[in-house]
Amino acid sequence: MRGPGGIVASVDGDLVCESVGPALAALGRELIEPPAAIRLDLSGVRRLDASGVAVAVHLHRLAQPKGIPFEVIGVEGDRKLLVDLAMRGQDPVPSPRPIGLLREIGSSAISIGSMARDLLRFAGEVSIVAVGILRRPWQLRVRDTIAAMARHGSDAVPVVGLLGFLIGAIIAYQTYDPMARYGAKLKVADVVSVSIVRELGPLITAIILAGRSGSAFAAEIGTMKVTQELDALRTFGIDPVRFLVIPRMIATVIVTPLLSAYASILGVLGGFLVLGPKGITLTQYLVEARDALTVGGFLQGLAKSAVFALLVAGIGCLSGMRTGQGPGAVGLSTTRAVVAGIVAIIVADSVLGTFFYTLGI
Amino acid sequence: MPRHDTMPAAAPESVISLKGVAIGYGGRAIVEGIDLEVRRGEILFIGGGSGCGKTTLLASLNTLRPPLAGSIVFEGIELAGADDETLQRVRRRFGMMYQLGALFGSMTLLENVRLPLEEFTDLPREAMDAVVRAKLGLVGLAAHADKRPAELSGGMQKRAAIARALALDPPILFLDEPSAGLDPVTSADLDALIVALNRMLGTTFVVISHELASILSIGHRFAMLDGARRRLVAVGPPAELRDRSADPWVRKFLSRSPSGEAA
Repeated sequence: MRGPGGIVASVDGDLVCESVGPALAALGRELIEPPAAIRLDLSGVRRLDASGVAVAVHLHRLAQPKGIPFEVIGVEGDRKLLVDLAMRGQDPVPSPRPIGLLREIGSSAISIGSMARDLLRFAGEVSIVAVGILRRPWQLRVRDTIAAMARHGSDAVPVVGLLGFLIGAIIAYQTYDPMARYGAKLKVADVVSVSIVRELGPLITAIILAGRSGSAFAAEIGTMKVTQELDALRTFGIDPVRFLVIPRMIATVIVTPLLSAYASILGVLGGFLVLGPKGITLTQYLVEARDALTVGGFLQGLAKSAVFALLVAGIGCLSGMRTGQGPGAVGLSTTRAVVAGIVAIIVADSVLGTFFYTLGI
Repeated sequence: MPRHDTMPAAAPESVISLKGVAIGYGGRAIVEGIDLEVRRGEILFIGGGSGCGKTTLLASLNTLRPPLAGSIVFEGIELAGADDETLQRVRRRFGMMYQLGALFGSMTLLENVRLPLEEFTDLPREAMDAVVRAKLGLVGLAAHADKRPAELSGGMQKRAAIARALALDPPILFLDEPSAGLDPVTSADLDALIVALNRMLGTTFVVISHELASILSIGHRFAMLDGARRRLVAVGPPAELRDRSADPWVRKFLSRSPSGEAA
């Protein structure tokens, strides 16, 4: 009912969850032309529940920003209390300022800077603790280290072996035809052994490590951070880096070169899967593969593996330690550990590859 | 806060009826032979010592864990042996607030409270948001609708969990330790909210708690489980049980007296 003093909107019958939609639609039509004031008359309402008061809340929120006076009439006692409670604090909240491009670039830069600072600080902390353990080896948690070696080393043997073997076979398949065309099909053994031992064996092992162990480190330590176990360690005076990080890093650095060597051996054997049926004997194949390899090349593969292991374990543990709050935080840390781990492996591989090439190894 | 120990005027109608219920884990009963009626419109507290089976009993009442034995009838529906469809229908009749809130951390409060409405109603978005804002207003969180749970204090998270439990206007609310970990003022605010919702909406509350201040000030009745004797040892108005219960353990519990075992 519209008058000079404003509009009186009356609601009759039950005002419950199901009737909120139709009531708001009807009131919306009345309010197309802004009135001088709005009074919501609920005296004809039979049943009013906690959803029904949404009509009052909605009109209140509509009227507020336009400065239109609004009141609810025809309610008393508990109903009035219900309406008053629901409407409190409902003043329109100013929307947050939109984030501009400059602000976004700035906040990204700050975030990257903070991660780089954390990474440096973490590397420093780990180095200090590692030197301390070299001087006082009994401080190393040997049982944890052995458990981590089992979990991240021997448990990874099947998957690392399978992938190494298959990659060796794939390289042999891809190179057999061009080599055979020049009558150098035995040279496939050279290609397989050099590429697997110097490059792909360590790389595949490290990528599996990032997916299996880097993520596990981030999730384990991240969950401990969320559940305040890291705080508990610190309040006991126990350094979480010595307690959690060092055993994982040592275990990873020990087992990764071994896994990498194992992947390389199986990769070379995988190549024979292709050459065997082509009339080349296993002895011919192995002798050719051995002659193509140098001790330097083999050691280069192992050295790369050790560096990859340090990177993956360090990034996994750091991601765990940097875990934020809330249920999604551990998931974010785990993702960050895997992605950053793989990126770090590839970058390190290219740097080390250039380094070894320059040295002529 | 004013005392609120009078029951609604209407004759008590049983909304949940337990007969000979046994609860426990892995076939081993913690408490057996529970006979208890939850009356419409009441605030019923269930309490007892740590490990006495309070939360396990609540899990049986809210259909998540079938009792080891006995019958639970929920608004005329027998829960023992009920199929999934029946259990789903029963689940629409109550709201549940978990001890730690159990709000979805990836969603804002508005989205948390809106989720049941999106799943179970055909309300247009505008009406849905108005309903959600009304519920958040009722628990005093209207101004925090766009925040995520991690941005709120523990007390605010619990109030938000109540708003979510109220989303579909259930006639029964189960609250698991609503005051645990809260300061006395926030705890009293929460009690006032329970009383206001109970009085204004006629909502039945079943509250698991051993907060004596809450039990004595807002509870219409108190049901006490005893893990040592593996049974329900008392049901009645809390103040009456504290002063006149025939069971000395119940009197000690409700008057916060030492057990004497430490001496």
